Amino acid sequence: MHSLRATGATLTALGLSGAAATLLLGLLWAPSVDPEAWNAPEAYRILFWHVPFAWSSFLAFSVLFIGSVVWYARRSEIGWRLICTGSDLGLLFGLGVVISGPIWGSAEWGVPWDWGDLRLNTYGLLTAVALFLVLARNSQPDGHDTRDTIASVGLFGFALVPITALATTWYQERHPGIIIVETEEAGLAPEILTVLVLGFISFFVLFAGFAILSDALHQMESRLSGLQHRLDEEAIR
Amino acid sequence: MMHVAGMEVRRGPRTVLRDVDFRLLEGEVVALEGPNGSGKTTLLESCAGILPLTSGSVTWRDGQAEVIVRDSEGRRNEPPPMGLTLQSDGMCGEETVEERLLLSLTVSGRGQNAGAVSQMLSEWGLEHRRADRVSHLSGGQRRRLAVLCGLAPAALSADSMVVLLDEPSEGLDDAGRELLSGWLRALAGAGHGVVLATHDAGIARCADRMVRVGGGHLEESTGPCEGEPSKLPDPSQLAKSSTHGSLVRWAIKMEMRNPVDTTGRATPALVALLLSYTLLQEVDMSHAGSDLLAALVLVPAFITVVVSPALIRRLTEADCGRWWSAVIGPGARPTYSIIGASIILPLPLTYLSWIVLAGPSDAASESEVLSWLWLPAVVMIDVAAAAAALHLLVADLRRASAAVASLLLLVLVWPFLQLTDALSVIMTDGMSFGLGIGDPLVSCIMASLISILVWAVAIYLPDA
Repeated sequence: MHSLRATGATLTALGLSGAAATLLLGLLWAPSVDPEAWNAPEAYRILFWHVPFAWSSFLAFSVLFIGSVVWYARRSEIGWRLICTGSDLGLLFGLGVVISGPIWGSAEWGVPWDWGDLRLNTYGLLTAVALFLVLARNSQPDGHDTRDTIASVGLFGFALVPITALATTWYQERHPGIIIVETEEAGLAPEILTVLVLGFISFFVLFAGFAILSDALHQMESRLSGLQHRLDEEAIR
Repeated sequence: MMHVAGMEVRRGPRTVLRDVDFRLLEGEVVALEGPNGSGKTTLLESCAGILPLTSGSVTWRDGQAEVIVRDSEGRRNEPPPMGLTLQSDGMCGEETVEERLLLSLTVSGRGQNAGAVSQMLSEWGLEHRRADRVSHLSGGQRRRLAVLCGLAPAALSADSMVVLLDEPSEGLDDAGRELLSGWLRALAGAGHGVVLATHDAGIARCADRMVRVGGGHLEESTGPCEGEPSKLPDPSQLAKSSTHGSLVRWAIKMEMRNPVDTTGRATPALVALLLSYTLLQEVDMSHAGSDLLAALVLVPAFITVVVSPALIRRLTEADCGRWWSAVIGPGARPTYSIIGASIILPLPLTYLSWIVLAGPSDAASESEVLSWLWLPAVVMIDVAAAAAALHLLVADLRRASAAVASLLLLVLVWPFLQLTDALSVIMTDGMSFGLGIGDPLVSCIMASLISILVWAVAIYLPDA
């Protein structure tokens, strides 16, 4: 357990350093984009964090989904821990997306939020679901029934993920396309691509570090809860 | 009459019952004993099919057939008629004493025998309160009624029936406990099977079999079987009735008696309408576009549908919903979500909004909108069912009041936006039946499908 926490802390520190380097390189080294094509060309630099945030949160919701399925299939402790970790990280990275996105939107569109954009709204909903899960976990007494309800909300949240992905492709309105996949069409400068890749790697390492730390925390909570129940039983005897 | 095989039930990280086997035979009273938290209520509620099982199954005999009430594979069926008294009474305060007793008889397939009902109410000291609401009774009287409602279906049944009682003597005075003891022996004598969880040594003495619950296991011993049987009323005729129908009639009756749902939904909607009207006085609609007006017209109906249903508050009162869930079985949640939803208000509210908010426009355009305004209003009923389902999902949590349901309700903004889009197009271009993205019919279908998806996920996943 101790070495696991040390690994988590190391990865988190590495990820944070990489994210900071991404930010610095994005601000100071990456070239500007075509000023004719954008209303606020300099605002594009927020993308170096915004896009890795988005991909990391997709990853977090995938962990949440797997945890919910495992919980339903086996009612196992590992399933519950994955739900806890997935919702914690989904909230963290989801908030990163819905905070950085409107900053860019304010500069580029003149409004922080577009209610007509399906992907924006779906992302807002995903983050709201993650917030609900984190708040509910903290406010509810731990129990089989509580875990069932939270797992079903987790599955419900994940149902929104493919809709979001489809929304990106089919219903795209004001939101820019998936530039990391469509590199050639997007015509990204090599420096921009380099910083973006660094951002992805850094956020992935950060995700892994947070996930290990979060899982270690929930393992400890689970052990503590088990010990409390043993004390309860001994007190009754 | 009932067979529990290899049952394991967990509450959180703790396994409360482990590999439990238990049989209930005709004509016996079984007392479950054990310290607080040992799992007596868990065993009783699992037998009733209320709690999910980690492993094993609960099977009831219904005549010659066997019914799996619940198992760990996810199978769940409506249990055969039974008598059930939960630890928290399981009654709503709006009901009258007589209504509650008749309801417990109706859902267990017993006819409404007026003479027998009066006899039972008199014997249990409740005849003079038969027209009073449950909320007006003292704690002891409420408990008497709850226990009577658990015993009465079997008392009036010529066929053997399972009776489940959780702490029936809790809150009863000496006379009430003596009465209970006599009825238990009489029911056993009539061939019914009774399981009761109790801390009361006096009540436990009338059991044929004692089962000690502890450490997740059961230890059985022979009971003293003491007590003189009381005289039960004569059995009444079988009356076939749908438990779902009983729930619907019960919900309507409660709402008509105290229209807290209608009032609670209509008030914020009307306030929103008035605020929208005030706002529109300051806006030049010729430049604002039709989207704003469409959204404002639909907002009152939308607010109406997302309000938490009063039915959920009624069901959470004294575990009333758990009683219904046990009686109805797996169909309880879909039924709650439909009868708890705002079905009637969206249509009149949407037309009222249009009449109040729409400014002067040409007669042809207004006629077109009035002809098709019902379409988004009707789809709003789907949104209402989805909202009720989400509220039910949150109500499953033990501290539902501490959970932020509105975060989940945000998903319904999406169908609302689709409906706004549809109405906006109807206002500007008239109704069309094209099947392209952006056509009003497609927008309404999308809104409906999203709502149905949300409803299905919120209703069926928790029971999966």
